[in-house]
Amino acid sequence: MSARAPAVSYDARNTLGHRLRILAGIFVSIVFLFPIYWMVLTSFKQQVDIFTNPPTFFFEPTLATYKEYMRRADIVRRIVNTIIVAAGSGLLSIVVGTMAGYALARIRLRGAGTIGLIILLSRGVPPIALAVPMFLVARKLGLTDKHITLILAYSTFLIPYVMWLMRGFFLALPKELEESAMIDGCSRYGAFFKIILPISLPGLLSTLIFSMILAWEELLFALVLTNRYASTIPVAIAGIAGDTVNGANWGALTAVGTITVVPVVIFALLVQKWLIKGLADGATKG
Amino acid sequence: MGTVQIREVRKSYGAVQVLHGISIDIEDGEFVALVGPSGCGKSTLLRMIAGLESISGGDIAIGNRVVNNVAPKDRDIAMVFQNYALYPHKNVRDNMGFALQQRRVPKPEIAKRVNEAARILGLEHLLDRKPRQLSGGQRQRVAMGRAIVRDPNVFLFDEPLSNLDAKLRVQMRSEIKELHQRLKTTTIYVTHDQIEAMTLADRVVVMNGGVVEQEGPPLELYDRPASLFVAAFIGSPPMNFLQGQIIEGNGLRLEDNTVLGLPAADPKQRRQVTIGVRPEHFVIAETGWPATVSIVEPTGSETQITARLAGQLIRILVRGRTSAMPGDEIRLAVTPGDIHFFDAAPIPELASAEDA
Repeated sequence: MSARAPAVSYDARNTLGHRLRILAGIFVSIVFLFPIYWMVLTSFKQQVDIFTNPPTFFFEPTLATYKEYMRRADIVRRIVNTIIVAAGSGLLSIVVGTMAGYALARIRLRGAGTIGLIILLSRGVPPIALAVPMFLVARKLGLTDKHITLILAYSTFLIPYVMWLMRGFFLALPKELEESAMIDGCSRYGAFFKIILPISLPGLLSTLIFSMILAWEELLFALVLTNRYASTIPVAIAGIAGDTVNGANWGALTAVGTITVVPVVIFALLVQKWLIKGLADGATKG
Repeated sequence: MGTVQIREVRKSYGAVQVLHGISIDIEDGEFVALVGPSGCGKSTLLRMIAGLESISGGDIAIGNRVVNNVAPKDRDIAMVFQNYALYPHKNVRDNMGFALQQRRVPKPEIAKRVNEAARILGLEHLLDRKPRQLSGGQRQRVAMGRAIVRDPNVFLFDEPLSNLDAKLRVQMRSEIKELHQRLKTTTIYVTHDQIEAMTLADRVVVMNGGVVEQEGPPLELYDRPASLFVAAFIGSPPMNFLQGQIIEGNGLRLEDNTVLGLPAADPKQRRQVTIGVRPEHFVIAETGWPATVSIVEPTGSETQITARLAGQLIRILVRGRTSAMPGDEIRLAVTPGDIHFFDAAPIPELASAEDA
């Protein structure tokens, strides 16, 4: 058997279908990666090179745009704001959402399904419909332009997301694990924290990462609920793109865009082992 | 003290009652098997003893203390699950020591008890492995080790061998029996496999449809089944049944009017009866019930013959070898004590003897 296995895969490598699949993969990669490539490329161009037609791929790279814009638009503070808000809302949502997801998955509760569904339905409301009421509430409470406001606002859509993902992870675990822990001397909380959480860690981490990315790139709430002090990177980008006085500054746009994307890419690369594991098996390893 | 008293225990899920007043008294050190077809309520009863299911009515007492409202962790029991429920992120050592850690037993004491259990079960070389690096049989042993280190009042086993292949199952069965003889801890063992129940237990409780059909030592159930259900459930291959009418002079008239001579009379003097004869109690003889051999299956130590008696297929188990060939006309004799009489009723259809 084992002697024949390589021969089979050698044949598979040479089939037409296999080659077509590889071609399709390359095509999809180009479609998705080219805009990012172009953005990074443009961010290192001088103003004159940006608008040459036909576009140039070879030019003298410069950091001028970065240097200039970092100073002008308060980009560093906005990056810090974005990190605070993404981390804060991600962590808050993971704590609340994970516990709620566990309750929905395990505890026999009258109407648990309905509760879960209602929380999920709240995601069906278009964010634009919530933004203005949220602004009014925030102003009444004196909470506009504060980090905590954005953290709470993002949690409204991150918690249902975390809850439903984690509920799936927990449902995939055999309930005998907790039962065994409870016979071994744990309370229900003890079983959750000592057994279930450590096993769910890959799923938990990938959910946390996705939540933080969602918060990282959120624009609408940030636009409505902040103006200066707590404003985030997406707002800055929108500001540059929508500059009606001077026209869009493409150099600045691509430079700030690169700054926004790079941390996410580095972060994803660092945690990709967890990410893939969490997505692939939902933490069920017996 | 590892006594367990189950008194008039009932369980309902909403309007559906699944246990209808079960009473079982289990003595300290006893090995009791709860056996029955799936859905008979045996696992539910075990989970109620463990505290994993609430009790709808009646009492359960462990060591003379009513535990109806006691949390599982405070019942001083250990349980082995069908899927073992080993903690996948902990190695074997920590899996076995977890319960002791929860009870704040000092570390040297935990190490001592884990090592002792590992020695008994032959797990010493596996203590640093994770559960996923173990074979099915090894996982099963770890699950038992986890129970042993606790030194609990009662061991609960919920179909612990069902996930193992046939050969390993027989081996682990012997190990469980040996373990019980050595530790003498009260054990309640749930299984759907009557062979497991018979070979392991001091006492077998046969359950069906949420009630106890019969309880007693294994051989008593085999020799004197109280109902058609128990007769059909206990024994492998299963008992043969014939329905008919008792006629004058100790005869049984079957549906097709064949009359069989009965060597014994029904002690209850019924007119319509079902009689049962175990395959191993038929003797091929000069005189007796006429039958035609249709299949002969030798296994070496014994031979199973399927024959047609009055149009009905019956099974005969003969020690050693036989000269009978398909198509042969044979005569079957039965000693009087080996005929079981039951009320005439439909024969329960059970798969237990086959799938186990």
